[in-house]
Amino acid sequence: MTGASLAERRAVAGWAFPRWLETRTLVVILLAVGLLIQTGRHVEVDRMVRLTGDALMAAAGLDVDSQVARGVEKIAGSLFPLQVAKRTDISRIEGFDRTELPLLAHIETVAHQVERMNPETLTMEAHTETVEFLVEPVGYLIHVAAKLVETLEIALWGTVIAIVMSAPLAFFSASNLTLNRYTYMIARALVSGLRAVPELVSALFLVMAYGFGPIAGVLALAIYSAGFLGKFFAEDIENSDVKPQEALRAIGANKLKVLCHAILPDVMPQYIAYALYVLDRNVRTATVIGIVGAGGIGQELKGRFDMFNYSHVGTILVAIFVMVFVIDQLAARLRRRYL
Amino acid sequence: MSFDAVVFAGIGKTFADGTQALNDVSFTVAAGEFCVILGPSGSGKSTLLRTVNGLAVPDAGCIVLSGEALTPITLPRLRRRVAMIYQQFALVNRASVAHNVIAGALPATPTLRAVLGLFGAKDKQKACDLLAAVGLAPEHLTRRVSELSGGQQQRVGIARAFMADPTAILADEPVASLDPRTSRDIMTLLRREARERGATVLCSLHQLDLAMEFADRIVALRNGEAIFNGPPSAFTASVETRIYAVDKARAS
Repeated sequence: MTGASLAERRAVAGWAFPRWLETRTLVVILLAVGLLIQTGRHVEVDRMVRLTGDALMAAAGLDVDSQVARGVEKIAGSLFPLQVAKRTDISRIEGFDRTELPLLAHIETVAHQVERMNPETLTMEAHTETVEFLVEPVGYLIHVAAKLVETLEIALWGTVIAIVMSAPLAFFSASNLTLNRYTYMIARALVSGLRAVPELVSALFLVMAYGFGPIAGVLALAIYSAGFLGKFFAEDIENSDVKPQEALRAIGANKLKVLCHAILPDVMPQYIAYALYVLDRNVRTATVIGIVGAGGIGQELKGRFDMFNYSHVGTILVAIFVMVFVIDQLAARLRRRYL
Repeated sequence: MSFDAVVFAGIGKTFADGTQALNDVSFTVAAGEFCVILGPSGSGKSTLLRTVNGLAVPDAGCIVLSGEALTPITLPRLRRRVAMIYQQFALVNRASVAHNVIAGALPATPTLRAVLGLFGAKDKQKACDLLAAVGLAPEHLTRRVSELSGGQQQRVGIARAFMADPTAILADEPVASLDPRTSRDIMTLLRREARERGATVLCSLHQLDLAMEFADRIVALRNGEAIFNGPPSAFTASVETRIYAVDKARAS
């Protein structure tokens, strides 16, 4: 009885507390689950789970035949030991000077028997051939380090060019700063267009245009990052505090003055944070786009991979891991301290 | 020292959603007066102030500043001598105090110099003088505004307002977010500086006691209509009752 009268009173007052789970929410959840089941079948999620389970059991020491475990074993076996030294055939070094060897380097002579046909007797005769190698004990490490530095330089310049390009794009694609409807639409289209092409794809074409090397890498990174920064910077400008802008407009300051003295000081810290994030991300991407020939460590990786020099590949992978880890830590520390 | 006289003649304003903010408001603020616009929330105080510098455009009526009517043509010139002080301070929180104050000199600075941040030595000196006058210390100059207390932020807001040598100041609830004691300090400061530097003040308030203490003239608004206009001495208890009377039609 009490319940009925309570419900009645609520109806009279016209107040109804929102239900915890509304029908609409329930329908959305059911649709999402259905979508996941359907797409999961297409990308073979069930097989992925089974294979991973097998591999984990094999790793735990159970006697299970696992395709994945065999694959991993094979990779690990060919990547290690890592390549550290660099051996170069002396006959292939131009203008080699025996008296002035590079630091820590020594010459190794390898003699081996070669069967060769004697054209006079037409019989096979054994010859001893000696090949001299210049061995630099950490030569390959130094080479990889140089390539890493090149990768960092590509990322840095890609980011710098992106920042320069994104500033005008952002101003015109922010609805509160743009000049008119057309500049707004053009800038928006440009920003989306720049972001629509992944770096790997644009690098592929830029390599055709500019040739192998870092130029293609720098431009590929710059194009994508400019779109990315332009979009986020424009959103920041649109969401910046309007009250100080109004205060300056009210005393007759023009658009440019309001931009420089009310909007920019407000959004600058956020913009710097985005730019740092993009730099961080570009370092990682720069390693990848080298694979299509756009310079840096990726190009070295691709070359070694194609020549089946898997121990070199191992060195490169470890070097990339170390670099990304160090930069991640550095960026996190910088962000904590300054932003 | 050239105080502006401000004449409101039949000001009406209806917002796009149909709310009538102002209805036929007419009164005159003499040059040099400290006029308090009194009224409860939603009575149209802010809208009335914002019509003076063009932040709100009235649908009806006309505003005259020292004999010059406010039109779209005269507005860009006239608004330069009308400064505004805001309830939420409207300062750039991440910028320094120095930057915020000198921003008040922007309208008179050539655009290129303004963009590059090259303000004249005179402006810089004036900013320092003003900050000293509003009671801040030299070490506040480089401090970010967000690090200051509410009272200090409003002092920065007042210093910025006086940068452009205004002849009229609109103060929109300047002390609404401050404690009673700081409120009184800020009101004293505003009144003193306005008098010394030659600015007529239009100040909206909802605190009756502050209005009685600081105003030369009180204009009371209720539902967008001016229902009182006169000196504090004429402001009686019956007027107060009328301002804050529960509007039967609205509450139901």
